[in-house]
Amino acid sequence: MVMPAPRVDAAPAPLLVARGIDKTFDRTRALIGADLRLDAGEVHGLLGANGAGKSTLSRVISGHVRRDRGEIAWRGIALDARNAREAIGAGIVMVTQETSLAPDLSVLENIFLPELALPGRLRYGALRQRARDILNSLGQESALPLDMEVRALSIAQRQLVEIAKALAQDASLIIFDEPTASLSPGEVERLFDVMTRLRADGRALVFVSHRLEEVFAITDCVTVMREGRTVTQSVPTATLTQSDLVRLMVGQDLARAQYRRAAAAAGDRTRVLEVRHLRAAPMVRDVSFTLHEGEILGLGGLVGAGRSETLEAIFGLRRPDSGEIRLHGRQFTPRRPVAAIRAGIGFVPEDRRGQSIVPDFSVRENLLLGHLSAHRGFGLGYRARDRRVADLLRQLDLRSDRLLDVSMLNFSGGMQQKIIIARWLLLEPRVLLLDEPTKGVDIGTRSSIYAILRDAADRGAAVLVVSSDFEELLGLCERIVVMSDGTSIAELESDVLDETKLTMFAAPRSSMEITSQLLRTLAGETGGAAYWVLLDSERLFCLARAGGDGDADPGFAAGATPRIGDTRIPTALAADAGHFVAEPGGARRTLLVRVQSHRGHELGWIGLTVAGTSTPDPAAIAQRVHEQFARAA
Amino acid sequence: MSQATLGPSPAAALIRRLGRRLEVRMLALASVVFVGLSLASPFFLQTNNLLNLLDQSVVTGIVSIGMTFVILTGGIDLSVGSVLGFTAVLMGLTMPHYGIPAGIAVAVVSGGAIGLFSGFLVARFGLASFVVTLGVMAIGRSLAYITSGQNSISDIPPAINNLVYTSILGVPSNVATLLVLYVLSWLYLSFTKGGRTIYAIGSNAEAARTAGLNVLAYSVLPYVISGALSAVAGILLSAQILSIDPLAGTALELDAIAAVVIGGASLYGGRGSIIGTLIGVLIMVMIRNGLNLLGVSPFWQGSAIGGIIIAAVLVERLVSTRVRA
Repeated sequence: MVMPAPRVDAAPAPLLVARGIDKTFDRTRALIGADLRLDAGEVHGLLGANGAGKSTLSRVISGHVRRDRGEIAWRGIALDARNAREAIGAGIVMVTQETSLAPDLSVLENIFLPELALPGRLRYGALRQRARDILNSLGQESALPLDMEVRALSIAQRQLVEIAKALAQDASLIIFDEPTASLSPGEVERLFDVMTRLRADGRALVFVSHRLEEVFAITDCVTVMREGRTVTQSVPTATLTQSDLVRLMVGQDLARAQYRRAAAAAGDRTRVLEVRHLRAAPMVRDVSFTLHEGEILGLGGLVGAGRSETLEAIFGLRRPDSGEIRLHGRQFTPRRPVAAIRAGIGFVPEDRRGQSIVPDFSVRENLLLGHLSAHRGFGLGYRARDRRVADLLRQLDLRSDRLLDVSMLNFSGGMQQKIIIARWLLLEPRVLLLDEPTKGVDIGTRSSIYAILRDAADRGAAVLVVSSDFEELLGLCERIVVMSDGTSIAELESDVLDETKLTMFAAPRSSMEITSQLLRTLAGETGGAAYWVLLDSERLFCLARAGGDGDADPGFAAGATPRIGDTRIPTALAADAGHFVAEPGGARRTLLVRVQSHRGHELGWIGLTVAGTSTPDPAAIAQRVHEQFARAA
Repeated sequence: MSQATLGPSPAAALIRRLGRRLEVRMLALASVVFVGLSLASPFFLQTNNLLNLLDQSVVTGIVSIGMTFVILTGGIDLSVGSVLGFTAVLMGLTMPHYGIPAGIAVAVVSGGAIGLFSGFLVARFGLASFVVTLGVMAIGRSLAYITSGQNSISDIPPAINNLVYTSILGVPSNVATLLVLYVLSWLYLSFTKGGRTIYAIGSNAEAARTAGLNVLAYSVLPYVISGALSAVAGILLSAQILSIDPLAGTALELDAIAAVVIGGASLYGGRGSIIGTLIGVLIMVMIRNGLNLLGVSPFWQGSAIGGIIIAAVLVERLVSTRVRA
């Protein structure tokens, strides 16, 4: 690849120029001379690995944190926002994941929340009209009931309220911080529609994300950050490839399969943990998977899919309503975490500061906290673990004289996480559960965490990793169980997957309901099998299926990823024809209709397999499918 | 890699390291008060007065142990004073009929039971300890009046006086009890699973729960200890004055909280030490005693103690480098 030169500044003055921004939290240098320039009417991608400083830079610009050094020029004039309110006054708004909405107020009140602080009487009639105008301008007039309490809204709707709120303030720069982390593909498309309209209005948008395919779909140019510095500034997205971006973000080529082992045949390995139809309302509905000795299994899906809650149920932090957990073949229902710990299970929760670290304890006592609960005596029994502690410290690259440091909070996020993982490794667990193990961990430490997990698995532990970072799952895990809306919907081998397919599987069932209905109708009318599949050169990935017994059975179920040759309809799958294709022998005939969203995003194929010689009209079916998908998006 | 020895002398480094320890800072403060009072009043250093100081520390000191346990978990126990009064009345009613040991047992068990009640409500249902123990405080005092018939009980066996004035190695038994209880509590909090769990709960209850510690049991235990120790303090108080007043222990909770806070504990929980509390108790008693010796009006003593509490907390906040969430 040839590094494209930074865009030469031609005509209009930039909207915002940030130069040489420094910011230090405690001892962590989050930003070291970061630069950014934004123009009106562009969607600007701000990229970087976790801990690269993109969120901190966004928060500096939007006034949420104050910079230590550096200059920000807004429309050519120096800007020094002391807080978010001043930045909003200037026209800069940030839309975060943890929304700043008041859950007990209505949508309307939230949109005009800043105006509630103004003196004088509120005129709700006028506000209502303005809210309608704003939503109209976004093309979302019907998406938001103005009188509903925000508490009752979906995450995507809340985001829309935030955007409307920003527009009510007439913001000319809107920063989206990982806006798609909890959205289904359909909701992402709708968000992109809104962003496109905002750009057409001449506003500047910053899109912070690490999902590269989204960056390519929506941004005009990108700025890449690494370790607190800007490494590439305002490069047109069109001149870059995905691997260029990865290299810029990471600073090197990441060998993806570095920490992954080939998946062994399931029968070859000892089953350690079996989960069958686990239900723990409201988040966990029907989860099944098997975890083997020496394996790293991924639990993928969107935020809110019930993955964390599944781990909590296995660890005894959440009471299952029904279903079965078997550990080493025996029924296992931990009522409290200590039961799980003594059975050989360790759990690294997602929120390190809130759920793992005891801030008033020394590093040593934090490390020994799992031991403390497993320990049955009256005393502490710390001494008995001294040797193992020393071994672990060597493995973690932590100097032993820091063991007695009074607070873990002085360490980097990565080191904190290594200590928390070591808390469980100390007990030599048979099963290790980890929830987002590299969240807030710098890129360098990430690989050492992967190495630690791989090492634990090689010693025979069964490791279960929850992550929203599909790249991470694909690089670390042999197999991935995909969860959606509290249900495990597919168990896939990483070898055959990529991020795009994983994203399609992870879409919430609720957003697929229209499609499922279509499949049921088609299957019912024709007496055949209707299904939604993705295809690549070798395999078929079945997202959903309805109907089809006997001759009409296409040979795969929802969540299955067979080779094309192993299905019962290989001829049709290879043909890519616009009509029904009969398999040799004539027992069944298959029609495939290619589907895409109205933004042109490939969504795979809708297939219909019917038995014998019955031939519904292919054109009519294709038309119905296309209409349905246009509506669903 | 060798440790480079740069900068200040080892002695200075030692002082700085000691200075990081809360107890050491508090001990320094206590010494300052001690020396100051010795200089200000010629009577202060007399043996009688020093013994008197320890004697005056017993009731507040024992109650403050329980208060330390509760505050370490992030809670507070406002009921100690009325639990002391109520359990002392129960003891006074029991003793004439069933003897001294039975009276003591009734007091300690009922104190513990009241603590169990408060602790369970706080830990199991997540009620605010301030509110629960405020309610128990009112109930306890009211029951003390009802059971005592609103009168002081003075027909208690005089032999109970031995609990206070038996000499053990030259130390009066009530002071010895105080010291033994402090040593036991210090050992428990520093070197046992339960003690460390209490600290962990106060520092981050969610982390303690997720790490598998028994958060419910060790959140309740401090209240039980606090109730039982309030009863113990009540026993020693009654034994000393050979009379039981249903008003006994009124406003004691304020002294106990003050001692714990002066001793450096954080009201958010997780931070503090039993040694610090002992020093806190001594500082308070010394100041009371010194003000008396100096002839300061008792009405001014409240202002003095109050000022010291606020100053202690302020200094601790300024010295403490960590920022709490």
